[in-house]
Amino acid sequence: MFKELNPLLHSELRLGIMSILISVEEADFVYIREKTGATAGNISVQIDKLSEAGYIEVSKGFLGKRTRTVCKITEKGVTAFEEYVEALKSYLDIKSK
Amino acid sequence: MEEKNLNEKASLELISQMITNSRRKLEDGNGIPFLIWGYTTFCISLAVFFFINATGDYHYHILWFLIPVIGSIGMFISKRSKVKHSGHVMNFIERVIGNIWMVIGIAGFIVSVGAFFVRIPILSIVLLLMGIGTALTGLTIKFKPVIISGFIGMASCVVPFALKGNEQILAFGIIYLIMMVVPGHILNYKGRKKHV
Repeated sequence: MFKELNPLLHSELRLGIMSILISVEEADFVYIREKTGATAGNISVQIDKLSEAGYIEVSKGFLGKRTRTVCKITEKGVTAFEEYVEALKSYLDIKSK
Repeated sequence: MEEKNLNEKASLELISQMITNSRRKLEDGNGIPFLIWGYTTFCISLAVFFFINATGDYHYHILWFLIPVIGSIGMFISKRSKVKHSGHVMNFIERVIGNIWMVIGIAGFIVSVGAFFVRIPILSIVLLLMGIGTALTGLTIKFKPVIISGFIGMASCVVPFALKGNEQILAFGIIYLIMMVVPGHILNYKGRKKHV
C-alpha cells in the first residue's frame, strides 16, 4: 500500500533544505545556498514555507553589518521528515517486489 | 536545485547526497584553531624566555596573559571569515569540541591566575590540560595525529620538572609547537587534499 508523500517535502529544494538541517544542529542561509546551489530568492521563499509549516525555526541576527539567517529543524520537522522517508520506502518496497 | 517535484528514487538520492555533503568534518581547514593557539603560545613563550633572560625581571611573566587575548582575536577573525565565505553550520561534533575547549580554556585561565598567588607547577598543569583537550579532540574527530600529539603533550608535563629555571619556559614553547602546530598543519593538509 502506498503511503501519501507530504507535498511540502516532495519538492527538490525544500527536501534539500530539510535534508541539510536534519544532519546538523543549525545552518545559516549562506551555508544552505552553498550546499543547494539554488538562488537566494528561491531559498528564501522555500524557507518561509517550511517555517510557516512549523518544520524549521528561523532566527535572524547580525554578522558585522550584514543580517544572518540561521535555520534549525523543529521536532515537527523531524517527524515530518521521518514520515516522508517511511512513505518513500513504501513506494520503493512495492516497486522492487 | 529548484522547486520541482521528484520521483521517489531521486528523492532518496537527494536526501543521501545532502546528508553526506553536510557531514563537514573537522579536517576541512579546521587545523586553524590549533595553529592560532599553537603559534601564539610558542611566540609568547619565546618572548617571556627572552625578556626574563635579558633583564632578569620576572614581571615579564605577565606576558603570558597575551595568549588568551591574541588567541581570542585570532579565533574571532578566523571564524568570521569562514562564516562569510562558506556559511555557518553547527553539528554535534563541533559543539562537543567547542565545549571541551571552553572547559579546558577556563581551567587553564583559572590556574594561570592562581599561579600568581600560589606556587604551583603551572607549566606542567597547562601542558597536562592542553594535552587532555587535544587528545579528546583527536578522539572525537577520529584523527590519529591529533590523538598522538595530545598524549605526547600530556606525557610532556613531566619535562618542566626535569629542567631548571628559564629552560622550562623554552621547553614549554617547543612542546606546544609539537602538540598543536604539527597536528594543525597535518589537519589543514588533509583538508586541502580532500578538496583537490
